[in-house]
Amino acid sequence: MPTVTIDGCKVEVDRDATVLDAAKKAGVWIPTLCYHSSVSITGACRICMVELDRGDWRQLITACNYPVRQDIVVYVSSERARKARCGIMELLLARSPESEELKALAEQMGVKGTPYPTVTESQRNCILCGLCVQVCEEIIGQAAISFAGRGVDKTVASPFRQASEDCIGCGACAAVCPVGTIKVRVHKDEREVEISPFKSRAKLLVCKNCGAPTVSIEVAEQALSRLDIDIEEFRQLMQFCPKCRRSQAAACLKSAVFDKKKNECAAG
Amino acid sequence: MIAANTKFTSPADLESFVKTLHSSEDKTSRSVRVCIGTGCAAKGSRRLYELFVEAVKQSGQDIRIEAKHVGCHGFCERGPIVVIQPGDIFYQSVEEPDVPEIFRETVLGGRVIKRLLYEDPSTGKKAKRADQIPFYNVQQRIVLANNGIIDPTEISDYIAKGGYAGLAKVLASMTADEVIDEITRSGLRGRGGGGFPTGLKWRAAKDAEESPKYVVANGDEGDPGAFMDRSLMEGSPSSVIEGLTIAAYAIGSSQGYIYVRNEYPFAVKHLSMAIDAARDVGLLGQDILSSGFSFDVRINRGAGAFVCGEETGLMASLEGFTGEPRPKYILPVEKGLWGKPSVINNVETLANVPAIIVKGANWFASLGTEKSKGTKIFSLVGKVKNTGLVEVPMGISLRRIVDEIGGGVPDGKQFKAVQTGGPSGGCIPAEHLDARVDFDELTKLGSMMGSGGMIVMDEDTCMVRVAKYFTNFLQKESCGKCTPCREGLAQMLYILDRITDGEGQVGDVERLGVLAELLEDTPLCALGRTAANPVLSTMRYFRDEYDAHILQRRCPAKECRGLFRYEIDAEACKACGICLKECPVDAITGEKKVPHVIDQDKCTLCGTCWDKCPFTAVKKV
Ligand SMILES: Cc1cc2nc3c(=O)[nH]c(=O)nc-3n(C[C@H](O)[C@H](O)[C@H](O)COP(=O)(O)O)c2cc1C
Ligand code: SF4
Repeated sequence: MPTVTIDGCKVEVDRDATVLDAAKKAGVWIPTLCYHSSVSITGACRICMVELDRGDWRQLITACNYPVRQDIVVYVSSERARKARCGIMELLLARSPESEELKALAEQMGVKGTPYPTVTESQRNCILCGLCVQVCEEIIGQAAISFAGRGVDKTVASPFRQASEDCIGCGACAAVCPVGTIKVRVHKDEREVEISPFKSRAKLLVCKNCGAPTVSIEVAEQALSRLDIDIEEFRQLMQFCPKCRRSQAAACLKSAVFDKKKNECAAG
Repeated sequence: MIAANTKFTSPADLESFVKTLHSSEDKTSRSVRVCIGTGCAAKGSRRLYELFVEAVKQSGQDIRIEAKHVGCHGFCERGPIVVIQPGDIFYQSVEEPDVPEIFRETVLGGRVIKRLLYEDPSTGKKAKRADQIPFYNVQQRIVLANNGIIDPTEISDYIAKGGYAGLAKVLASMTADEVIDEITRSGLRGRGGGGFPTGLKWRAAKDAEESPKYVVANGDEGDPGAFMDRSLMEGSPSSVIEGLTIAAYAIGSSQGYIYVRNEYPFAVKHLSMAIDAARDVGLLGQDILSSGFSFDVRINRGAGAFVCGEETGLMASLEGFTGEPRPKYILPVEKGLWGKPSVINNVETLANVPAIIVKGANWFASLGTEKSKGTKIFSLVGKVKNTGLVEVPMGISLRRIVDEIGGGVPDGKQFKAVQTGGPSGGCIPAEHLDARVDFDELTKLGSMMGSGGMIVMDEDTCMVRVAKYFTNFLQKESCGKCTPCREGLAQMLYILDRITDGEGQVGDVERLGVLAELLEDTPLCALGRTAANPVLSTMRYFRDEYDAHILQRRCPAKECRGLFRYEIDAEACKACGICLKECPVDAITGEKKVPHVIDQDKCTLCGTCWDKCPFTAVKKV
């Protein structure tokens, strides 16, 4: 097993593990944005740059996808690596000035603000990390959104920027968005969920009991078709919102316990 | 011509065919070779070719006359070019009305038409043949040896000039390892930009465990103004195919691809014809020359994105994905096309291979400098008298290319810089003009060999604008995948824009420096990692121009609008009144016999007076 020396701390990892894996094992924090353990790695955002010591020269690499194949020495906190990461963060802050999540990460990295004006605005507050595109395609299997345009005009969009029929309203994209730009909005009156900024909408199931919206119909259907469980029982469960499900369960429990006690008393 | 159904079944078979070709060559036969390369075709040479074909048909002579269309000669400045055999008579700037005269006088009558010969501007001497013209005699042609000579649509022409002898030799007598050793010893380095040793690349791919393996020829050529690879693919497509086939044999691949941009229709057409022809005669396909080695080639047409020339972007595009680069921590020789070991080489690199095999590694290694061997093709453009396509031995000085081949800067202007290496190359100033064409020497100067663009600039060129032009190009061509390239270039351009608009701020040069450093270190692919070169090299050699723009609001080359004024030189002004009449905003006043004056408050800097003054009395100051 190759050894990775990170800022002087030695850890052993499997061959072809990444420097990021090694850093996690060593307890060294490296900021990431476009990295997510559930989807393939693109190395697009470059925020995880660290310095690799090659003996006679040093090179900056992205920790998220650099495969460890032999013993290596890397520096996360070297001046050059830190400067590179902060430089990338400053550029991202200029692009997405309103993202609170990004600001929080910047602060964690010690970046106070950005010297740059906002000059690229193909999509407001989107850092184009691509996680939403990947999760929609690789995990959900819908590919309802993808990259459109290129260079500074690149955006994430549904086909022709129209509300996509392939969107099932699951909200996985919003869940992985590291800068909080993708939002799930529930339109109660219309019994619909909207994924913003993609404008796509999906019909929601509503709780049989209280009328609160629960989950998109399509998501429920897909879950039913994909999961290896007792469908009928699951279908029953899906008819109620989590809150009502809980109170129902509590009622059941209560009656079970209470009835048991009563029975015991009667017997005694 | 090759008879239908001819199939070469052994190397010896091919050799005897060449012998019959040579013996059947009629010494008294005549030919007219019309260049249909990029430059000549743009000046209407295809029509000239048709007219010559027609003239041959109508002549009714019983001597053999052949009208051929051939690839780029290189001397595009003087196109269309027509060469007549016998005698290699070199006619330049030929126009349609010249065709009957050339046919009557030279082709039939054997008389030279002086008017159409090249005249040396300095000596006034006329040159009858190409080798008497300085533009050609400094050059050394290996890769372009067939350009301007063979008909690229006839495989027999290529074979007659020694084509496919390299492949035949490899299949008859060399092991894959011997081929790789030969290429390694020759010192051949990649011509696509990186200058990576070709032998090393092939060795790594051969040693890679997985299979199948692929070979790819990179004919994407996206540099603005470059047409080296285009001319090669159009003028001698078979040499690329032969090189690719030898590469495939060396690494153990049976499938190759040629990636060509779709804007090069004749490159695509000539390559397709050459592939079909090679397949027909048994030089591609199953069991080539009965050697047991099988290989075939497909052409893929790219949609013209610069970044698709980058090898991983190219492979993504070949696989049908968006042409965006991929991380290269594991190299394509291990995991390339479809995750399999792949060799990707530039078309010029590949076209060198047959010659190295036939003439030997030692011959090739004897040309050039210690670490840069062989020759390099450049497209020489910009402010030189002779623009065109040139192939020079490595080690030649930039000065000889600019002055001897290019004929120097026209109109008595001063040379300022030569930009090499394509859009992410750099500008080399006059004080380094004696630098040699050598991978490492050019890199040391802050430029690079690149794929062979060479743009000459004179005193009227604003170097900040040059930096801005290339930064703008690269920003437009950035795929946008990674942060530093997408955002960093946009920020750089924003600063360059304000400098050339006269709104530069103190500290802008330093700001550019910080962005440049980030760009050199952090992007995913080499487009981003080299994208700061234009800015860095102009800041290094022409810092004073940046300062003049920022601190004095002045453009020393007088190219940036608003950063210079027009004034009328009272002594030169003849008070003719032309400028006064032409000025669209009535900013010029004056009377008969009184020198005219420009009202600077009214002047919009449109430059009309400067254009129109017959006495060049209007000056930029
Ligand atoms: C942005 C960019 C554009 C490139 N364009 C080309 C090109 O048009 N043609 C080419 O042969 N190589 C191009 N390259 C270089 C290729 O990535 C690769 O190094 C080359 O094709 C390898 O072949 P060689 O070793 O024969 O040079 C480009 C590289 C970059 C970074
Ligand atoms: S460096 Fe530029 S061209 Fe290369 S991957 Fe990044 S954004 Fe794309």
